[in-house]
Amino acid sequence: MQGRVFLARACGSITFRGNIMAAADPKRPTYAVEAVPSDIKNGLFLGNPALDNLMSCVIAMGAEVWATKRRLHVMEALMAKKGITEEMLEQYVPSAAERAAWDADRNRFVELTFGALGNEPYRSIGSSFPKR
Amino acid sequence: MIGRRQLFGAAAMSLAVAHTMHGELAAAAAEVAKSASPEQAADSMHKMARLAPRGTNGRLVRLGTLNLESQQDFTMAFRQMQAQSVRKASMAALDRVLEAEGVDPATPITVEEMRALVEKDPAIGIAAKTWLANQQITWKTLQDYFHANADQYLSEMESTDKTGPGALVLSPNMNIPEYTRHEIHIQPGGYVGDPFAGHMYLYGTNSFYYGNRGSNEQDEIHRSAAAKLPVPKDGKVRRILDMGCGVGQYTVALKERFPDAEVWGIDIGGPMVRFAHMRAAKLGIGANFAQKLAEDTGFPDGHFDIVSSYIIHHELPAQKTLAVIDEARRVTRPGGVYYPLDFNSGGTRMPAHQMYGRWWDHRWNNEVWSFEYHSVPFSEEIGKRGFTEVKPSVALLQGFGARHFVRVA
Repeated sequence: MQGRVFLARACGSITFRGNIMAAADPKRPTYAVEAVPSDIKNGLFLGNPALDNLMSCVIAMGAEVWATKRRLHVMEALMAKKGITEEMLEQYVPSAAERAAWDADRNRFVELTFGALGNEPYRSIGSSFPKR
Repeated sequence: MIGRRQLFGAAAMSLAVAHTMHGELAAAAAEVAKSASPEQAADSMHKMARLAPRGTNGRLVRLGTLNLESQQDFTMAFRQMQAQSVRKASMAALDRVLEAEGVDPATPITVEEMRALVEKDPAIGIAAKTWLANQQITWKTLQDYFHANADQYLSEMESTDKTGPGALVLSPNMNIPEYTRHEIHIQPGGYVGDPFAGHMYLYGTNSFYYGNRGSNEQDEIHRSAAAKLPVPKDGKVRRILDMGCGVGQYTVALKERFPDAEVWGIDIGGPMVRFAHMRAAKLGIGANFAQKLAEDTGFPDGHFDIVSSYIIHHELPAQKTLAVIDEARRVTRPGGVYYPLDFNSGGTRMPAHQMYGRWWDHRWNNEVWSFEYHSVPFSEEIGKRGFTEVKPSVALLQGFGARHFVRVA
């Protein structure tokens, strides 16, 4: 859940917290003052805002995938200490029911992440695109 | 096959034996152990992760959650890959542009000329975009975490504000000049605008060091610089000032090298010195910290035997750099050492490859004042302001200027 929230926030123009002082408890000084925000978010690097945003999404997804993978490493290490070894994981043969469920989940994953590659947009969205 | 409930229970037990638990933490661990479903166990684990200290790696306090630590691990690795591969490709693209435009790579050019050149090849845009997006993720994940757990981290600072062994002086009513308020390194809020600026800076900049200087998780870089700092000819080192101390890594390293000296770190960022003090206090190192401007320290004339700084000057407008040198002269005793550590300053025109790096750092790393810094003949100006340069001298860090000065009588 936490990962999904992060990814949703990170895609596109990354939004940072605004004026921190406004939300601060006056009885609890933070010694922070208003900063001069950088104008980096206005930069267009790839010639198309969609491409810029897509690049941000891909890198954010990389961070999330790696965080998940690293957590798996931790879990495997902990499991090994409890007698579940890496070899046992490698040798594991799923039951027919498990296989069917995993196949369905894999297909859903592939469709979700790469299905858009099959889209065939052919008409510019400007004035030549049908009004309605 | 191990059950998911058993797995979470096992994880909880591992954490439980790793820490002495009290109150909320013990209750959260108990909740994990008796979870009736994987979802409930996950919720309880998440709660416990927020409450449980994750220990330390030497002097580095481990980040609060495994997720956050892993996200930082990713952005560090991405940064290294980006520098070695993507940025390298962009340099090749720049070479193609130079050739196509008939620009001699050895001829010094201005930043305006560089800006016109970088628009001409998409590989340069991709390099900048990937670097920037990765750095934004570094900051965003850190900021989101510390703000989601603000009460805990504010309480931690509040509980150490008045503890020793060193002192902390905060000045909540002082005027914070606008030139100090920029989001250097695109760190959200910069050094002054976020209550957790120090927390974010420490963890965020750790990944900056990897790749070009190696690990700094144990302050290795700051300690190696402090170890080379020259002392006054008479050997007397009673008081030391670190101007623009940030989170106090250099200040702490100076105190470790000179344990009998009174060491002060000053910085305009209240959250920075507050964090610096907390960190030093938890390390048991008696360095003192104060929220002050380097050009107006308020210390008495001739108070310090050594005045030094760790890369503050490229964060200052040119006139402020000169004012800081004047203030350093005022507070350094005759015969005392002044050694400002900062980049080699090289003027505002340079060959294309160098200008490419400087443009990038200025524009995308938001080093707002870097060109002003490079416009000042730094060592020459120090020599004009009551100091004598000692030659030959060593650079405290490889690639930085060697600037060993002594205050004239």
